[in-house]
Amino acid sequence: MSPADVTAVIQRGVYDSLVYQDSSGAFHPWLATSWKVSKDGKTYTFQLRHDVKFTDGTAFDAQAVKANFDSINAPATKSEYASALFGQYYQGTKVDDAYTVEVDFSRAFTPFLQAVSTTYLGIASPASLTHDASHLCAGGSYSVGSGPFVESARVPGQSVSFTRNPAYKWGPQGVGNSGPAYLSGYTIDFLPDDSTRVGSLTSGQVDAATVPVTAVKTVKADTQLTYVAHQSPGIVYSLQLNQAHAPLNDERVRQAVLDAADVPTLIKSVYFGLYQPAWSVLSPSTPGGTYDSTLANSWGNDPAKAIELLEQASYTGVDAQGYRTKDGKRLTLRWIYIAESQSDQRDTLGQALVAQFKKVGIDLERDTVAEGAYFTDIEKSDYDVLDLSWARGDADILRGFYHSASAAVQGSEDASNTRDPQVDAWLDDADGNVSPAQSAADYRDVQNWTIQHAVVLPLYVTEYQLGVSTKVHGLRYDVSGGPEFYTAWVA
Amino acid sequence: MGRVVAEGSSRPGRASQALGPVARFLLGRAAQAVVVLWGAATLSFAALHLLPGDPVSTLLGPMVTVTPQVRARIVADYQLDRPLAVQYAGYLRRLFTGDLGTSYQQQLPVRAVIGQQLGATVQLALAAALLGGALALAAALLTSGHDGPVRRLVESAELLAVSTPTFWLGILLLTLFSFHWKLFPVAGADGPAALVLPAATLAVPMAGLLSQVLRSGLDAALEEPFVLAARARGLGGFAVRARHALRHALIPAITLGGWLFGGLLGGTVLVETVFARPGLGRIAVTAIDAKDMPVVLGVVLLSAAGFVVVNTAVDLLYAAVDPRLRAGSVRS
Repeated sequence: MSPADVTAVIQRGVYDSLVYQDSSGAFHPWLATSWKVSKDGKTYTFQLRHDVKFTDGTAFDAQAVKANFDSINAPATKSEYASALFGQYYQGTKVDDAYTVEVDFSRAFTPFLQAVSTTYLGIASPASLTHDASHLCAGGSYSVGSGPFVESARVPGQSVSFTRNPAYKWGPQGVGNSGPAYLSGYTIDFLPDDSTRVGSLTSGQVDAATVPVTAVKTVKADTQLTYVAHQSPGIVYSLQLNQAHAPLNDERVRQAVLDAADVPTLIKSVYFGLYQPAWSVLSPSTPGGTYDSTLANSWGNDPAKAIELLEQASYTGVDAQGYRTKDGKRLTLRWIYIAESQSDQRDTLGQALVAQFKKVGIDLERDTVAEGAYFTDIEKSDYDVLDLSWARGDADILRGFYHSASAAVQGSEDASNTRDPQVDAWLDDADGNVSPAQSAADYRDVQNWTIQHAVVLPLYVTEYQLGVSTKVHGLRYDVSGGPEFYTAWVA
Repeated sequence: MGRVVAEGSSRPGRASQALGPVARFLLGRAAQAVVVLWGAATLSFAALHLLPGDPVSTLLGPMVTVTPQVRARIVADYQLDRPLAVQYAGYLRRLFTGDLGTSYQQQLPVRAVIGQQLGATVQLALAAALLGGALALAAALLTSGHDGPVRRLVESAELLAVSTPTFWLGILLLTLFSFHWKLFPVAGADGPAALVLPAATLAVPMAGLLSQVLRSGLDAALEEPFVLAARARGLGGFAVRARHALRHALIPAITLGGWLFGGLLGGTVLVETVFARPGLGRIAVTAIDAKDMPVVLGVVLLSAAGFVVVNTAVDLLYAAVDPRLRAGSVRS
């Protein structure tokens, strides 16, 4: 879970989106009653509801949508992920009439429909956007949407509370409710300590909680609780291999890294068989038939081949500690990470990988750094390995990770520094004006390429795991497994 | 400095004489406080600039995709491209006007960030100090001055209390009193019930330490001739300990207690994490990790100010406890 994912789950009740994506990945009308994509795929036209009001009394219309999209794409907003969702071809948003809004791209861009369904592109009251743009992300009284809930209280680092919006009558189509929410309100507590969180769930002090993998057994065995797990779509938990400089700019060394790893055995022992080992960088639960299942069991666990490859790459020496050397220099890979990100037993998994790599003479050095230094190191490309996962209900997430153009912006998505015209061509074709089947085939080609050229070591498919009290009914889940409280009730 | 003529003083320039000894002492302390705060501010400013990392990345948050132009704008907005000396001077000038700046991470004024957390931390520190002090007093008064199985039991308990990891103790208390018997809520800071377990978690090791110091002070005082005199007047054992010996034993305990309490005011990360309480400790750790300079400096200044206040209170307490330190002979 990235901090951004957490924010999306928390803010979902406050902001409505133009389009609703259900847990299977299908799209339904929400603030937009219908939408049309032009033949050339460059223009999206949304017909909007006439009866929607933001909770500050402002009416929702095409102008409001334009204000939101303009604000996200304004450089002054410093919007990070949200503006990336518009891709690199975004040209602007136009108001056709009071309830018709048009979004234009310089070329076809198919992932946009899924992008507008995310909370990141949820529609805020235009008044709140101009109110004090720099405080929008601080939440509180500044988050004003048209959603079924209103944020009523916030204690930073402790909890956020929401109360029902009684005027709500424009719920997404197909969820079984369009009027006000059933819950009069709910509170999200942030309990950072695993045992505290699980204890508060098993003792009935909270109705639902995210469950650490170590407590899944306890929760499953508890008759008062239901265990709900969803595999997150998008990028699996994986090591991105940095090709920007030696040693990983040599493909043979990268291949050796993949051959040295016995991922299924590792994942099975670290996660007690609860998580699925990953064979591709893309999660099997990503919608649209985009997952390349042919990669299963097609690589890894061949130490002899790894050593052979390292020898070919001139790592012929072996030092006193048993590590491979080239011109007397040890083969060391620097893996930087922020301590806080190593939840979910990732520390243990990292140590186990270190041990597996040592067997073939690769020195994997895990280096914990402060958050500030982490981003500086990434910027200077001062790392060989970066561990990442990224939930998104669309295979377009691959573009941010492997398209050359993603180098123009900064961020950790582009960690592998992949620059390949063939990969760019597939990705451009996939989000261009082609059939869904063609687009899925392109995404499968990209996944296959990332394994063939060893730019990533996939580890496991991340899951959103919840323990929910049996008193809770009607809870829905978004495509990433995050809970949606709109249709829930407690009995 | 202009000339000060205080009422009742015919000699100009000797105002301090007209002030009471306590007021004079407090004035001296205020001057010290200014120096301490300036030192703390300067040291933390220097330390943060020596740490690796980049405040711009912190400003943008994790998982960022921005163009170099946006970065350049941020650098200019926050004057991060100016020489250190200029940044330092500007920082001191703002501090002087009470402006602690804006948090990079939360985009809120530092005063608000800290203000939101301060209440919870002060509440917890006071509750823990009162509980720890009461426990220590009771244990020391009951067991000083004589040997026996009770004393040995209490001494073992103190050793255990001092050496138990806070984190583990917190989980233990939660498991028993919250998960199992459901007497207290797990988390948060709403109402007194939520304060009991975290305060107890902090009070136990404090009490263990304080009680040891108190008892050895009591034991020493009970050897003094005045105790013999008191006993000769027919006072019972407990009364002697509580009324006569305790004054002597309190001085070192107050010093230690003040120091422990000052530490609590800076926030207690482990307890805040286990009990998911808001507080300065977690704020500080997050801010240091992210190089959120304004917040770190704010917390450091607040802690330094807290220590100055606590030390002053400790010195005033000395005078209350020990008559020899009173009236005109206050140490400053």
